[in-house]
Amino acid sequence: MSTTDNNLAFERLVRPHFERLYRLAWRLAGSKAEAEDLFQELLIKAYGKIDELASIEQPGPWLCRVMYNLFIDERRRFARTRIHTVDEGQLAGDGIEGLPANADADPVTNNQRREQIQSLDRALAQLSDEHRMVVLLHDTEGYKLKEIEALTGVPVGTVKSRLHRARARLREILSADGTIS
Amino acid sequence: MTNNNLHQPDHDAFQDDPEIRALLQDYPVPQADAGFFDRALVRATHQGSRQQRNRWLMTGFGGAIAAGLAVWMIGGMLMTTPEMPDAATGIPGVTMTLEEPRTVNLVFSATEVLESATLTVSLPNGVELAGFPGQSEISWETSLNKGRNLLPLKLIALTPAGGELLARLEHGDRDRVFRLQLDIS
Repeated sequence: MSTTDNNLAFERLVRPHFERLYRLAWRLAGSKAEAEDLFQELLIKAYGKIDELASIEQPGPWLCRVMYNLFIDERRRFARTRIHTVDEGQLAGDGIEGLPANADADPVTNNQRREQIQSLDRALAQLSDEHRMVVLLHDTEGYKLKEIEALTGVPVGTVKSRLHRARARLREILSADGTIS
Repeated sequence: MTNNNLHQPDHDAFQDDPEIRALLQDYPVPQADAGFFDRALVRATHQGSRQQRNRWLMTGFGGAIAAGLAVWMIGGMLMTTPEMPDAATGIPGVTMTLEEPRTVNLVFSATEVLESATLTVSLPNGVELAGFPGQSEISWETSLNKGRNLLPLKLIALTPAGGELLARLEHGDRDRVFRLQLDIS
């Protein structure tokens, strides 16, 4: 197969999953810069395994798993060096500040919504990585428990327990800062 | 912005705290920049093809193409580097290939634990840090162990101009600026 054919075959396999993969990258990494980097790393890795990818019946879950593993590997590497980014979400255009306002809503509603999102953002940042990941995958992205198990290798029972604790912790934090009653 | 995923969550895991769940359901993800997916695809296929072609070469010469290494000392010590200083500028240098990512490992040797230090990297025009497209200055808040600390920076040269990479390490009222010459071949 020529390089051009190879590239076209690769694109046909991966492009249908781009939106979902980008969302997953964002949920895992928590910032635009890191999400884009993770997405790019995934494509490079997947291209190197195009034969394996082509033989898989459902490439979507496979791609998600590879992305998750890349993220975990990267996190471990950074943990070892102790030099790591803690504040990338505040880089210009990199976090929720960069989100457009809802054009249909009035300015007061937009402000309230923005403040609510910022509170949630801060609250999520106070969760452990494991709790934040599971609550975002399940409650925000709608992954099923079994899908989270397949993605992370964490048993369903543990996922459920983390989900429950993460929600309880979020309630505690958001009640304390007045975001919810 | 609403969640537009196609999954239906599990019923039994979705019973408690509807208020929290409602907040989380509407927690947004910014859209990817226009053209990002296309650019990522092109980079992946371009780099992937080259990696496949060069794999045999890398197995024999991996050591020779290992990343550049600059060793920096904080606390009054001098910066040293295993690469020769650039003849024209007198500062340590790394040679990169145009459009080919290269990891430059910066090694910080600290004489004490440094909590909440700030590292700012300024890049010359036409050189980007992977994951930070279009940004010429990137800051990290970081902690350094006593001893050696490694920061790998994956750089890519988009134009042949090259120039100086500057890194400023700040801790309390101390700060040090380090320079690395990037030449593009």
